[in-house]
Amino acid sequence: MQGTSNMSLASVQASDAPVDFGALRALVVDDYPGMRNGLRLTLSNFGIIKVQLAANAAEAIFQVKSKPYDLILCDFNLGEGRDGQQLLEELRHSNLISIETVFMMVTAESYYEKVVATAELAPDDYMIKPFSAALLCNRLECILQRKRAFGHVYRHFLAQELEASIAACDELIRGKPKYVVDALRFKGELLVTLGRFEEAEALYQQVIAMRAIPWARLGLARSLHLQKKDEAAEEELRDVLEHVPEMVAAYDLLADVCLSKKDAPAAQAALEKGVTISAKTVRRQQKLGEIAHINGDLDTARTAFSNVLEKGRHSIFVTPADFGNLCRVQLEQGDLKGVADTLKINKSTLQASQEGQLVMAVTQGMAHTRTGNLQGAAKALDEAATLRASGTRGDAHLMLDLAGVCMAGGRHDEADGIVAEVARNAHDSEALLAKARRIYDEAGRADAGASVLASATSGVRKLNNEGVVLAQRGDYKTAVDKLLMACSEAPYNPRIMMNAVWVILKYIDQVGMDEKMIEAARRYLEEAERQAPGHPRIAGLRMNLKEMENRFGIQRKAAG
Amino acid sequence: MKFDGTDLYAALIHELKNNLGLLSMTIESIPQQGETEHDAAVDAARLLCQSVVDRLQQALLIYKAINQPIQPAIDAYSPHDLVRETKDRAMALARGRIHVEAALAQDVPAIWFFDRDLIEMALINAIHNSLANARSTIRLEANMKEGCLALTVRDDSDGYPEDILASVAANTPCQSTGTGLGLQFSRVIAQSHDNQGRQGELRLHNDQGAVFCLLLP
Repeated sequence: MQGTSNMSLASVQASDAPVDFGALRALVVDDYPGMRNGLRLTLSNFGIIKVQLAANAAEAIFQVKSKPYDLILCDFNLGEGRDGQQLLEELRHSNLISIETVFMMVTAESYYEKVVATAELAPDDYMIKPFSAALLCNRLECILQRKRAFGHVYRHFLAQELEASIAACDELIRGKPKYVVDALRFKGELLVTLGRFEEAEALYQQVIAMRAIPWARLGLARSLHLQKKDEAAEEELRDVLEHVPEMVAAYDLLADVCLSKKDAPAAQAALEKGVTISAKTVRRQQKLGEIAHINGDLDTARTAFSNVLEKGRHSIFVTPADFGNLCRVQLEQGDLKGVADTLKINKSTLQASQEGQLVMAVTQGMAHTRTGNLQGAAKALDEAATLRASGTRGDAHLMLDLAGVCMAGGRHDEADGIVAEVARNAHDSEALLAKARRIYDEAGRADAGASVLASATSGVRKLNNEGVVLAQRGDYKTAVDKLLMACSEAPYNPRIMMNAVWVILKYIDQVGMDEKMIEAARRYLEEAERQAPGHPRIAGLRMNLKEMENRFGIQRKAAG
Repeated sequence: MKFDGTDLYAALIHELKNNLGLLSMTIESIPQQGETEHDAAVDAARLLCQSVVDRLQQALLIYKAINQPIQPAIDAYSPHDLVRETKDRAMALARGRIHVEAALAQDVPAIWFFDRDLIEMALINAIHNSLANARSTIRLEANMKEGCLALTVRDDSDGYPEDILASVAANTPCQSTGTGLGLQFSRVIAQSHDNQGRQGELRLHNDQGAVFCLLLP
């Protein structure tokens, strides 16, 4: 053996404090009973004895809801139903597990390992089967030490103190070279959430200068897209995909980029590629269906919407609107039997919610209108009217379909009312307004339609614009009045609500705390998020709201 | 039902991998009893099982690499963690029969960019070779060489035979079984790591034993 004097044996040992494995609560998810027990045995080898078992995603979600876990060890392949990646996405999106919970994916094939490793929402680590207890123990120790190092980052993040969370990332970047890249990655996501896209772009460039790793290139493309630099974003994404074709998140982003370049066929092509790699993701199928529908590719739309229902059984991402989407395409294809089958197969699911019942009524109304069964259509419309009177609403497309059936049945006032409501709440959506105009054109009421749409949108638009201009001039009091009025006219319009929250916070900043106002801001922000989940402005507004509450020492009431 | 040959093999291999995993978990759970005869037999079984697992993973990867080049999933990892983890795995495989030591040069940075799973597979492969041939000691080293991270496995065996040294140095295919297969695999992995025009390398030489070195740019 050669003597190597500049080497130190000590540095090879774990430097941080040891992990207390006995205290960890673990959940093992695997569809194969033998493997479940094997994994439990493996965990017990290094002292993890508080272990629960689940055979599939549904069982795992049930267990996680009933008690918290520190570690979830999950096989990627869970047989029929959702896979491990979908389970992870559902758990994180619905906040069933905290960012502090360790989620480790077990994969059998190195191909899936890559799909998992390059996923937008990556697990904390993944293990390739088969592996030894010692290896799992080692990996787990590394993750737990990393989570410990990120303690401040996570604590601020969980308290929605994003600025402080970024500061904590900066501290890690300066002081913990081992976690530099992890901290940069987390900080990049925070910057994007806060709408600081230029800084995010610079950060990803900084990572790429070290090494052009795929997630950094995806982050760069996203920051470019959010700054409307779509040409550069597309170039980056196409190049990434050439190197890492299994990076599904890049196809999703590429579709967004193509859409913003008004190239719907290219967006569809991107999503179709993503779907061939990972077909089970509900939201990708939903988007593919919507875009194929816009492109008039009814076969693809139908397949995608069918997949949403089939692959997304029990998924939290499936809503009654998805049943309506499939039926709409089936109707456009003239496949009345298909529509009847869809409603029949899913009857109990649809009847379980008011929105589901509305989907059924509207779809039946459309089907009856098509076959000339006016009596049936009228009955369906009555049902829909009753549901609406009790406050039930559907997605905008469904409501416009309802308006179409009303119009075909001669119920013009009802139709105009529905269209006006949709238009008020989507005054800036070209696609929806165009669909509304088409319905009037087909009914031979183009002029009536133009006036309904104009009066519905102009009121809201005017109040909104006035409010924004007043706010820019610093007259927050009058701006708040205008936007609150706009909100009461368009109670589901996310843009109006976000503007209202913004001016309310400006107003409070100027004149001091107003309990009623801040309560309204909270309510509008919640509704805006329901209507436009993941909208880039929401996180920033939530942070401003939080800062305002902190400044005036208000404890946020439990969300009710 | 008609079986496509490829599907059948894929399903079979999937099942075999699961069963091998279970077998290795089961063997790991057999406690040592302090009786040499019993413990030695269990140890031998464990080692053999682990080496079957490692060989199978290699073989699958090489099989894939025939049709398409290996695309490593490169990310930032800690060489320190890698060395510690590999040393732990080597010690578990050696169970005191062979002494395993590890050392990191001070200039090895906190993070480096590589595919952790592939690199670890290549190192473990070298360790299997050394466990079979070393007299008493295996040494794992990490240091910086020519701007690359150099990961080295040394032993005190008789060293590599001339034909293997020659074929790795000449970048020609080695014999396709046993040691040769594993080294070919390690070379493919090293070469799949490239950075700014510089390709990774596998270097072998003999220096009071066999020296296996991966250079990662």
